[in-house]
Amino acid sequence: MKKIFLAKRNALFSSAGISWGASSLALALALLLLRLLAPNFFLHLVTPVFRSADFVSAQSHSFLSSFRDTAKLALQNERLLEENAALTNENRALAQKETVLTALLGGTSRGITAPEVLASILARPPESPYDTFILAQGSRAGITLGMEVFGAGGTPIGVVSSVLADFSRVTLFSSPGVSIHGWVGRASMPVTIFGSGGGTMSAELGRSANVSVGDTVFVSGPGQLPLGTVVRIESDPSSSVMTLRIMPAFNLFSASWVVVRDTGALLLDGLPHTTSTLP
Amino acid sequence: MMRGLITLLAFISALFFPWPLTALLAIIAAMREPLVPLALGIFVDTLYYVPSALSLPLSTLLGALVTVLAFFVHSRLRTSPVRDL
Repeated sequence: MKKIFLAKRNALFSSAGISWGASSLALALALLLLRLLAPNFFLHLVTPVFRSADFVSAQSHSFLSSFRDTAKLALQNERLLEENAALTNENRALAQKETVLTALLGGTSRGITAPEVLASILARPPESPYDTFILAQGSRAGITLGMEVFGAGGTPIGVVSSVLADFSRVTLFSSPGVSIHGWVGRASMPVTIFGSGGGTMSAELGRSANVSVGDTVFVSGPGQLPLGTVVRIESDPSSSVMTLRIMPAFNLFSASWVVVRDTGALLLDGLPHTTSTLP
Repeated sequence: MMRGLITLLAFISALFFPWPLTALLAIIAAMREPLVPLALGIFVDTLYYVPSALSLPLSTLLGALVTVLAFFVHSRLRTSPVRDL
């Protein structure tokens, strides 16, 4: 009798049976489970990947910049140096003025007593579809829920919405659903600023308000802090209000570090969903 | 081979490149592997989603939607007489 030989096939390891879709789904679910069960360990695991993404981004940027006209770059560099020197002097004068005024009013100088944490950014938009940052500092460094996050120059950019031992997540003011109170224009008109996503914000004001493109938007902090600039005003003749489109004063897409500070402001109230079990 | 490459590229894109490119790669991958957009959506939300930023994990939901659409298109093509031509 002729014996028919059938090759043994393992259903788990057969190359023909591998579906890339099913494998990737299993991997994604495993990572999700890891984030839910051990969020701090999960972020430790992906940190080297985020760091290498930053490195690749920086290298590609410098590579692409090398194709630019060197004479033009030198001129731009010179102009920026002059601007920087002027701004430094102006900043020194303002700081001196503030110290004198604070002494006259009998207060203490800000920044000395307020504890602050310098944190590097692991992930940011536009890689992230949400307007959020992942910071490489957490509760061990002194970060707590609701602390305010500032970019270079003291620009407020968001609020700490989730804290782990070594990492924290920041919800930016440009995130949809987030609202904060501020002022706009030369007359300091009070407005509620809403996050519009993609790093931008918007606000609504009466059509009669004296606001123009280029006006700075301020929010409260230690004094009035510049949040962004009005870049477009949308006004519908049939509506009694106009919409201000606001660009942040700080470039969220290329930020590499931020300062986290406890300002005492109740910023978590401005977030749409503050209670969650997801770490 | 091509399926694996596009799946891998889509996952790398979620970490290295802006999200619109990741979304585009997910749609391209869905043509051959319908489960990839769902997997990628879960992966992106695992990395970046914070409930305070948005009430729903948008990437997962959109990924699931694309996966359902891809399965629907695949099933229609499988029963279509055009396939036998």
